[in-house]
Amino acid sequence: MRVVHYLNQFFAGLGGEEKAGALFETREGAVGPGKLLEQLLGDGAQVVMTLVSGDNYAVENQQSIIAAVLEKVREANADLFVAGPCFQAGRYGMAAGALCSAVQAKLGIPVITGMAQENPGSDLYRETLFIIDSGDNAAKMRDVLTRMATLAKKLLAKEAVGLPKEEGYIPRGLIRDHFVEKTAAERLVEMVLAKVKNEPFESEMIPTAFAPVPMPPGVRDLKKAKLMLITDGGLVPKGNPDRIQSSAATRWGSYSIKDCADLRGEDYEISHGGYDPQFVRQDPNRLVPLDVMRELEQEGVIGELYDEFISTSGLANPLSNTRRMGREMAEKAKRLGIDAIILTST
Amino acid sequence: MPIAEMVGANRPVLGNGIVHVMGDAKVSVDEEKRVRRQLVQKALEALQRDDNS
Repeated sequence: MRVVHYLNQFFAGLGGEEKAGALFETREGAVGPGKLLEQLLGDGAQVVMTLVSGDNYAVENQQSIIAAVLEKVREANADLFVAGPCFQAGRYGMAAGALCSAVQAKLGIPVITGMAQENPGSDLYRETLFIIDSGDNAAKMRDVLTRMATLAKKLLAKEAVGLPKEEGYIPRGLIRDHFVEKTAAERLVEMVLAKVKNEPFESEMIPTAFAPVPMPPGVRDLKKAKLMLITDGGLVPKGNPDRIQSSAATRWGSYSIKDCADLRGEDYEISHGGYDPQFVRQDPNRLVPLDVMRELEQEGVIGELYDEFISTSGLANPLSNTRRMGREMAEKAKRLGIDAIILTST
Repeated sequence: MPIAEMVGANRPVLGNGIVHVMGDAKVSVDEEKRVRRQLVQKALEALQRDDNS
């Protein structure tokens, strides 16, 4: 079995954060955790090539690194592609997820990675990939690699994969049929009885989990701050130039408010189902408070208002979508040096 | 607001109803602008804090 393994600069032994800019490179054979991976896979498995990149380089050059990895994995004639495990390292997890999903989609070979549930890469890629839940403790390397190797072998042999709990991967949100002894009604009554008696029971509905987003520190000097307005209320220029869908939107837009003292109803429309848009149509400031922001800007209460507002429609949208759009908006705001954002939500 | 709290959004400020989060269709134009200004000021205060209090 021929394996190609992806590692970041740290696990490849190049160095820590100071080496995060390290360029993409190829090594022959197994490196670092790859040696243990090889042993755990057994059966004469061989890590024929290790691909290494600094975390910053991988995230900043995602498209070119994906292309390079696809080429190398194809060249190596690999049966299996492995990335990580990445534990809590966010950029590493994002790169591992992007690379695994590209290899899986383009080359059709089994892929496996590992990361903590809180890793942003898990949010983005758990629906597409088998990601072993590594937790955040890199000292558990052997245990994590063991589970990665076990599941990888199953994928290679095209054996049935068990439930997330049994195999140790992060739930993918897939629904599949299986036979049970008791009807839904019987199971439900048993759960209710157990709950009443304070006995343990396991719900069949998995509530969506929201990993806490750390709060950045407050704005220190509002008079110097650059602010931006965002809304998920679906306010778009007349004609909806970006064709933002009124439900389950996959797109967002950024619209100029340069030299505008306020927003006028005749210039805008609402692309958002589910709420009565007549009031915002009459006066869009009721959703995007431009008039007041301009006053505060003039009075010097705030430093500056960025001259575009961002908009999308926040209705009946899968989390994978909204998380992606949120990230894209945050990247834009960061690039523009925005200090704070007021996001109005319907 | 319950949704913002459920998903753990940082610094939530309660707006004035879904149909006009930053306005009020029931009052005069001048009064509505005062309402909006108060809401924006609440948001600006929240932005200067280091917690959700």
